[in-house]
Amino acid sequence: MTAEEFKQFVKTNGVKKAATEVDVVTTGTFGAMCSSGAYFNFGHTEPPIKMQRVWMDGIQAHAGLAAVDAYLGATELDETNNMMHGGAHVIEDLVRGKAVRLKATAYGTDCYPRKEMDTYVSLKTVNQAVLLNVRNCYQNYAVATNSSSRTLYTYMGKLLPEFGNATYSSAGELSPLLNDPYYRSIGIGTRIFLGGGQGFVIWEGTQFNPGVPRTPEGVPKRPAGSLAVIGDLKQMSPDFLRGLTFTRYGSSLGLGIGIPIPILDEEMARSCAVTNDLIFTAVFDYSQQTRSRTVLREVSYAALRSGEIDIKGKMVPTSSLSSLYKARQIAQLLKTQIMKREFMIEKPIQNFSLERVFKPLDVRTEKEAM
Amino acid sequence: MKTKVVLNFNPELANQPITNNLIAKHHLNVNILRAEIDEIGGKMVIELSGKADDIRRGIDYLKQNGVGVRPIKEGVRRDDDVCTHCGMCVSICPTKALAYDPKTGKITFTEEKCVACGVCIDACPPRAMEILI
Repeated sequence: MTAEEFKQFVKTNGVKKAATEVDVVTTGTFGAMCSSGAYFNFGHTEPPIKMQRVWMDGIQAHAGLAAVDAYLGATELDETNNMMHGGAHVIEDLVRGKAVRLKATAYGTDCYPRKEMDTYVSLKTVNQAVLLNVRNCYQNYAVATNSSSRTLYTYMGKLLPEFGNATYSSAGELSPLLNDPYYRSIGIGTRIFLGGGQGFVIWEGTQFNPGVPRTPEGVPKRPAGSLAVIGDLKQMSPDFLRGLTFTRYGSSLGLGIGIPIPILDEEMARSCAVTNDLIFTAVFDYSQQTRSRTVLREVSYAALRSGEIDIKGKMVPTSSLSSLYKARQIAQLLKTQIMKREFMIEKPIQNFSLERVFKPLDVRTEKEAM
Repeated sequence: MKTKVVLNFNPELANQPITNNLIAKHHLNVNILRAEIDEIGGKMVIELSGKADDIRRGIDYLKQNGVGVRPIKEGVRRDDDVCTHCGMCVSICPTKALAYDPKTGKITFTEEKCVACGVCIDACPPRAMEILI
């Protein structure tokens, strides 16, 4: 059953019965996942080229991979910083079946003499088109608000002055890693629903930070775990993969991820029974331009979903950046696919380490860095 | 009775006491929800309240004097194929025309409540909102 259905089942029947009667719980989330991108193998030209610089619809892809491979980042912009059409939008265009202009330049070698290429590619023409994201599916995220006197444009959306609004970005009780707080069933090798197709967890996500404060039930109260994921772009659908624009921040990828959680035992059932009133996060003032903003207060997802929260005595309207509608759709789809045996559940090949720490970047000498 | 309309003025009309005449001669209450003026003319979003006949006569008066009058429905449009129902627009919409429906998880758009302020346009990550005035 879906995570929402499971929570209802536990409420009525208790954890013990749920642990014995339910095999799998499906979770889902759809939100802006900036640390995403796709790599491509375009095929060899005649005569061959070792692409040194590559542009897809005017947006530069990283080509230091030789010879006709390149990685296009979701937040990459063109030379004019046009935020309406970044790398994420090019990836969406490809998923929609559109052709994309490919330009490449090279210095030319004896084995790769060609120095220029200008053509069109699509998912039909390329050999590989693979979504490979280094940090997705954050386990919990901050709430953003703005105490200053001007509107802020951030990756957390438009923040109105004088605590005019607050935005958050998590599917809460439906979110995959909030249902498996200690990563017992989600690890390297876990098969996942990714952008409408099937993919895999390939590593811990970057900035993986399991040591944050947690509730007595073990649910992190700050951004904690994250996932690195991979999947075939050719299987994906614009219903679950979208180019997004955050005004004056840039482009990002709206992506749907769903993960099944096998109910291994009572402990797992208890984890998956967690509801929005028991999941907390911290509110930060994004007008503080620092990496260590002060926590204004902690708040539950039940409060955030109610439409307003109290910040310093003012009732502040809330907005979600994560689509609950799509998260539900994903959990439901995944459930159907599992029941039809179209989606097989994998045991992780290796679990994540709980020892990881999240380090900052400071100006340091060579000696200090050693 | 109440109705919201979008008015377009050419530069010559911008100097005329049109709104005042609506109030004085046609016995209407005029609530100005949005107004802007530039070199190519003026735009206003107003709410008219009064008797149905007075509103009809008031709108006729505007049209006879060369003011473009359009229903508010043609102010802001949402492309439902583009909207992902995230909800970014909900907390910035001053009239709650955009609202979260907890039952379906979808974001509803009630055009009658919209005053075409345009705050949602650049806030929408998938760019589903469009302002037409």
